[in-house]
Amino acid sequence: MGKSEPYNLTRGAKIRIGLLILALIFPFFPFVSDYLLHIVILIFLYMILALGLNIVPGFNGLLDLGYVGFYGIGAYTSGLLTYHFGLSYWIIIPLAFINGAIWGMLLGAPTLRLTGDYFAIVTFGFSELVVLFLTNEIWLTRGPLGLPGIDVVSIDLTLFGGPKWEFIGELPYYYLAIVMVLVTVFVMYRIQDSRLGRAWFAIRDDEVAAVSCGINLLAYKVIAFAISAAFGAVGGSFFARWVTFLSPDMFKFWESFLILCMIVLGGMGNIWGVMIGAVILVSMSEILRELLPLLGLPVEVRFLAFGLIMVLMMRFRPAGMMPIAAVAAQMRAGRTKRKKTKPVVAIKK
Amino acid sequence: MTPILEIKQLYKSFGGLEALKDISFNIDSGEIIGLIGPNGAGKTTLFNCVAGIEKPTAGRIIFTKEDRTVSIGGKKPEAVTALGIARTFQNIRLFDNLTVLDNVKIGRHCRTKSLFFGAVIRSKSQRTEEKMIAESAGRFLEFVGLKGRGDEIASSMPYGDQRRLEIARALATEPRLLMLDEPAAGMNPQESRDLMDLMRRIRDNGITVLLIEHDMKVVMGVCERVVVINHGEWLAEGLPQDVQNNPKVIEAYLGTGAANAA
Repeated sequence: MGKSEPYNLTRGAKIRIGLLILALIFPFFPFVSDYLLHIVILIFLYMILALGLNIVPGFNGLLDLGYVGFYGIGAYTSGLLTYHFGLSYWIIIPLAFINGAIWGMLLGAPTLRLTGDYFAIVTFGFSELVVLFLTNEIWLTRGPLGLPGIDVVSIDLTLFGGPKWEFIGELPYYYLAIVMVLVTVFVMYRIQDSRLGRAWFAIRDDEVAAVSCGINLLAYKVIAFAISAAFGAVGGSFFARWVTFLSPDMFKFWESFLILCMIVLGGMGNIWGVMIGAVILVSMSEILRELLPLLGLPVEVRFLAFGLIMVLMMRFRPAGMMPIAAVAAQMRAGRTKRKKTKPVVAIKK
Repeated sequence: MTPILEIKQLYKSFGGLEALKDISFNIDSGEIIGLIGPNGAGKTTLFNCVAGIEKPTAGRIIFTKEDRTVSIGGKKPEAVTALGIARTFQNIRLFDNLTVLDNVKIGRHCRTKSLFFGAVIRSKSQRTEEKMIAESAGRFLEFVGLKGRGDEIASSMPYGDQRRLEIARALATEPRLLMLDEPAAGMNPQESRDLMDLMRRIRDNGITVLLIEHDMKVVMGVCERVVVINHGEWLAEGLPQDVQNNPKVIEAYLGTGAANAA
């Protein structure tokens, strides 16, 4: 691995490097407007969220319908810490990560004994609870009035006699988002290929066999849920400092559903698939937002379109566009043998 | 010989159904012992009680580990595995979406310890641990005769190989006692012979083997002692040929009258 020369890159590595270079020079193409850049940042944000959520349904096979709750917690953590204490974003990131993980554990530890649908309902209830809390605890969150005027991200070197550079416009956020996506992908790849990741995959594929290998189901599910929540919270912390305004209705159930759609569409458990799912659904959401009013339809109709996509995916490609390797192999085998294979990665009932 | 596992007056009932009634027997260290009985006799329930998946209604299961005795009735399955009892399943339970090597690596779980930060940072200790996991997993694959097949997807392997992979995964947990639940089911005669050879090699490595099996050729060929249970009750125990000729056993398998005829 260390000996590989730049000429001997695999096709996959070439594609990855190519995409990264494209992403880095993308803002300098003449046709790129601020609006387009905004949408691409949104795509990156949803990549982080989808990768974070992917841990629970994709790696562990548990249905999580309340991911947006952690996104909201992260956003308000970031917003309030900035608002009241003027904390730097670089300090807020780890704090948001820890806060997300704490809430993930608090919710996960008592509820992860539940199986399948029951657990999904609990997570759904939790995210609604977060929205109610943000709406009603006016002393803390200003309720439906929202939290305006959150400081932008800045790199402050005045302590060391350097300059202070504030993130103005979309461009600096664009690069910050790229870095955050890269870190998230890096972490996901490392986990995927580790003892922790293997324990999760074992839980996903067969809980009884996993236990027989000495895996403590509850502990590993709680770890999964906490790390997933932590990434959601980091995504939220970025969102708060980027749009500089928060209100409780940004964290409605629809967001959870949208992120879950990305995972199912892209391929549950597949890091690349999940990111592609984010690209497709965020861009489609934006296109429909423009298109639907022209057709005389309210913009909310786009959720109907997402629902339709889910139904079609379940019917024709239940493992997603880029299924995890084993599923893909089985699907190929099934095709050659003219035999119908059952979807292997399915949410546990 | 010292017993590695003592089962004392074990009872297990599911509602009104008494799956196990007053079962007592010992498993000696270093033997291959067969557990047989007609369908529904309670063999798998007994396995599940020992493995911690089912909680016995009454009775004690005592495991001896390095001169220390531990009661495992009602312990959690992951704790039982950590103690040194591994098992395979009647209907193969592999991690279908993972490679053969990863399946065995997961077996190493209870003997290793790195977690989230180790995985992300890839500290030196985590890297050495990961290397050791890969090496030992490779060794276990070689032991069961699946060398060089590590990259295949578990669910795409032939049936007999899946059985052997399951044994490799169980061995990877470094058990003192290995419980095999009908490992020869669905195997052809050649595969059964290979399996018997494998069981003997496992025993020669100092691992006690408890075997549930319907294939009498395998049971008679490999077991040093056999315990028979029927309707959840202890029926007979002894050398394979003695058990085979025991009228009570013949009756349990073939029905009343058959014993008299024989």
